[in-house]
Amino acid sequence: MEDAAREVEQVVRAALVQIRPGAADLGLDADLAAEAGLDSVEVMDMVMAIEDRLDLSIPVETLSEAHTIRGLCTGILGLMRSRTS
Amino acid sequence: MSLFDKFAPQRALQASLAESAVLPIATPMDAVHSATAATIGGKRMVLAGTNNYLGLTFDAECRAAAIAAIEATGTGSTGSRMASGNYAGHRELEQALADAFGWAAGIVFSTGYQANLGALSGLAGSDEFLLIDADSHASIHDGCRLSSATTIRFRHNDAEDLDRRLGRLGADARRTLVVVESLYSTRGDRAPLSEIVAITKKHGAWLLVDEAHSFGVFGERGLGLCEELGLLDDIDFLVGTFSKSLGGVGGFLLSRHAELELLRMVSRPYIFTASSAPPAIAATRVALVKVLGGRDLRERLWRHAHRLHQEASRLGYRLGADDPGPVVALLFDTREAALSTWQGLLDAGVYTNLMIPPATPAGLAIVRISLSAAHSDADLTLIIASLAEQAARLAADRARLRA
Repeated sequence: MEDAAREVEQVVRAALVQIRPGAADLGLDADLAAEAGLDSVEVMDMVMAIEDRLDLSIPVETLSEAHTIRGLCTGILGLMRSRTS
Repeated sequence: MSLFDKFAPQRALQASLAESAVLPIATPMDAVHSATAATIGGKRMVLAGTNNYLGLTFDAECRAAAIAAIEATGTGSTGSRMASGNYAGHRELEQALADAFGWAAGIVFSTGYQANLGALSGLAGSDEFLLIDADSHASIHDGCRLSSATTIRFRHNDAEDLDRRLGRLGADARRTLVVVESLYSTRGDRAPLSEIVAITKKHGAWLLVDEAHSFGVFGERGLGLCEELGLLDDIDFLVGTFSKSLGGVGGFLLSRHAELELLRMVSRPYIFTASSAPPAIAATRVALVKVLGGRDLRERLWRHAHRLHQEASRLGYRLGADDPGPVVALLFDTREAALSTWQGLLDAGVYTNLMIPPATPAGLAIVRISLSAAHSDADLTLIIASLAEQAARLAADRARLRA
């Protein structure tokens, strides 16, 4: 699962940097809206890129609970676990 | 610390817009004179931003029906459909709508917004999925929030992305309701409905099409884009509104499945609100007859649509849709350019809609023009001349910036 966690974080960060090149060093717990400056449309674009890379669909309900990189990663890992269980 | 502190961005936006002589958002209408004329800021304007596609708000027979309904049944129902608000007129209108499609069931809601809220929250339950276009209207997004189903978005008008996502759902695709609009009102672009129908069928999913902006406009009988494309036998549910082509207020949900009737027992936006006022129902009943037989109105609307699309393209505007349609969206790179164009059109006597983030997809700044069969050729000439004036001004601004 360690590998999966690392991969997910990498994918999330890559998608974030594509939209906000300056956000490469953003902390795991930094708020994507307040600190990275992403609006709701940009968050959606970022999520679509993540979904393509990981070949999964992230439900809107999972996103509404994820405001940080850590939150997003946790939500995605939860989805991956439920898919393989 | 105040509950209102969080509205600081809204306060700033409101303040910046208040610099205009006439507010571009929630523009105060001093008086409305017809389907295409109003007084705004003390000046008479051509209305080109009302979604009044067939101009039926001032139709003499629709008005007479509304007045007669008030005289016969009163101004309001004061009750829910589940209690005292289940009038004969409401039931007859539901039957007339279902009959128009040759379908088994129809439910009328008090607004179009509630129709989507009631449809989505009622149809999709906790073990089911809602798969919606990412650029859906707020009523669809809110319907998903009210539903206990799992909501997934697919890329706007991207049939391949829809296919991929239905594929990922596997056997759950059969418990999935795909939700699309036929004509998206912000950009005026159309969904690739034939592809969406084929993909939905391939995966055994259900399909709901929102024809809010296309009902009355497309199809031989004005039933919408599904009728025009010959897809009415292939969709499960259709949502529509009374507040565009039908010229009233209210919404509807129709289905080929007779079981739709059961939704009345569970759909909270249907149950927990007063039923539509009798005049709205009576006017819509007459308007429906006018829509079904409204070929002349549609021909007129489409003549205007082709003319405006051609002229706006010729003037160099970036348009939201490749095809002509009743909604013509002018896209701008900046909010300032959109606002100054909106203001310029208003100064020339043309009211349009300014649409800015967060109410728009992809952060677009838009001036939206909506056409009406009630527009005269002279109205169109004024709209186009005003657009030419603004195009010249924008070009001059750009040249100044470059200099």
